[in-house]
Amino acid sequence: MARLRAILGALFTAFRRDTKSLGSFASNNFFLMSLLFLQQAGVFVYLIVGLVMFFPLSTDPLRKIPPVRLALWPLSPRERWLLRIASPWLNPLTWILAALAVWAASGKLTVALWAAIAAVFTLGFIAPSLPLAPSKELWRRIPNLPGPLNHLIRKNLRELLSTLDFYAALILSATVLASRVAGQRLPQEALLPITVLVVLALSSYAQSLFGLDGPAALTRYHLLPIRGWQVLAAKDAAFLLAAFVLTLPLAPLPGLAGAFAALAVGHAPSVNQRREQTRWRFSSGASFGNGLGQLVLMAGAAGLVQANPLFLLPVLAGYLGSTWWYGLVIERGRLDS
Amino acid sequence: MISCRDLTRRFGDFTAVDHLTLEVAGGAICALLGPNGAGKSTTVKMLTGLLPPSSGQATVAGLDVAKNPLEIKRRIGVLPEDLGLFDDLTVEEHLLLTGRIYGLTSHETTSRTEQLLRVLSLADGRNTFAGYCSNGMRKKTAFAMALLPNPQVLFLDEPFESIDPLTSKIMHDLLINVAARGVTVFLTSHILSMAERIANQFIMIRGGKIVWNSSVVELTQPLEDMYFDLVESPSAEDLAWLGSGRS
Repeated sequence: MARLRAILGALFTAFRRDTKSLGSFASNNFFLMSLLFLQQAGVFVYLIVGLVMFFPLSTDPLRKIPPVRLALWPLSPRERWLLRIASPWLNPLTWILAALAVWAASGKLTVALWAAIAAVFTLGFIAPSLPLAPSKELWRRIPNLPGPLNHLIRKNLRELLSTLDFYAALILSATVLASRVAGQRLPQEALLPITVLVVLALSSYAQSLFGLDGPAALTRYHLLPIRGWQVLAAKDAAFLLAAFVLTLPLAPLPGLAGAFAALAVGHAPSVNQRREQTRWRFSSGASFGNGLGQLVLMAGAAGLVQANPLFLLPVLAGYLGSTWWYGLVIERGRLDS
Repeated sequence: MISCRDLTRRFGDFTAVDHLTLEVAGGAICALLGPNGAGKSTTVKMLTGLLPPSSGQATVAGLDVAKNPLEIKRRIGVLPEDLGLFDDLTVEEHLLLTGRIYGLTSHETTSRTEQLLRVLSLADGRNTFAGYCSNGMRKKTAFAMALLPNPQVLFLDEPFESIDPLTSKIMHDLLINVAARGVTVFLTSHILSMAERIANQFIMIRGGKIVWNSSVVELTQPLEDMYFDLVESPSAEDLAWLGSGRS
């Protein structure tokens, strides 16, 4: 039993550290700005955040132990079995599910709803162990783009697609698309706020563009014979592509203007205060001030371009100026410090 | 081809590289040897522009490293200490990216990529993401990236570590061939037998200072003996508890 206690103790520590990173949503623009400006009206935003976070929360704690290490440990079959039974209880969601089961049994919750929640949890729990592993194959199929920065942009798209920010924006965008396909007419004045909300969901990523690049990737950026602005442009191209596609069912041109504004403001914290990010988590924002600045400029740029598309030109000029300047900052080696 | 004078790098109070002065001629294969923490990787980083020196000067391929960072990058191939790979790119994509960024045509890039994948036994794992590659595959990918643009100078930080014997032999032969065509190779290694086979200039450093700098013809005894004499002696301490019964 001492062996089992030691393993469960270590597993608890590792799992707790991992789940701490889920707290990144608290400094994410999407959640923070919705809390500030929408308050109770932002329930749907909190639901989206909760839904998107449910999957990474539903992981099997035992997966924290490398399979080879687990196989090498001198554990008896009985100890392995006990470890399998006990380890899921290190995940707080297991306890919540158990509590909901008690609720369902007492009639306070429908069994069907409990079963639906349990099914999603179970799917998240066992999915990584299934021999499907489609994600890497899908990642590889990201289409090629013209130009020498093609593979850098594709890499950056893969990084963006492994943050929860993208999926929160996707749910918003897909909801609007589904309602349009179903023939429901959205009021014209609703399109712009929802467009800004979609870009807002992505905007924290624009503040931490190098957060998923490890130290080795930074070394490579410095070795490649390209200018700093090109490194930034490859990052931004992935962001702009995602923002454009996600705002297509809404107001694409104002969406693009919002994305340019988000990037122009986001370059400073991305380059000057690189913060490491974790995959399958929400990006953590740089600061409340920067997030607010992003929101104001995004909303302003999107609104102006909605009124007159020619306003896209000054927005673009501002973005290009920011890219050039922070490109120089990258060349001075600021990214590493 | 590589020249530095009084090259020094300090990290706070610690001096990692201390007034290093050296010359490596065109077409030479120079092995920089020394224990962990001796300053080998810091030297490579300064010579490749990855780290600014605290003082001193370095020129590579006729250019001042501090004044021509972009032009230097176009002329050198580097296998850095941390390999410099992107987890989200496959082995093949790393090579395709390198070719296009160094200005090769699409045809040249594809052709060289295919050759390097085949020669370095990377073809089977070409679609594997770097984050999922073995250490050996990652090392070979970074090595292929260094060779692909056909550089004038190659900087290789521990190229033979975690590489299988066959690929080591292939890399050894490739480096001998490129050096014969005038490419300068500057490498660091802990595998003294390999360094002795491949290099024609040896520089040993300890505590950031050069303790030996000579050409191969000046070696008066086996490299390993010289290393243990000049750089560090093996520890004679025994771990008595090992094999002394059950733990």
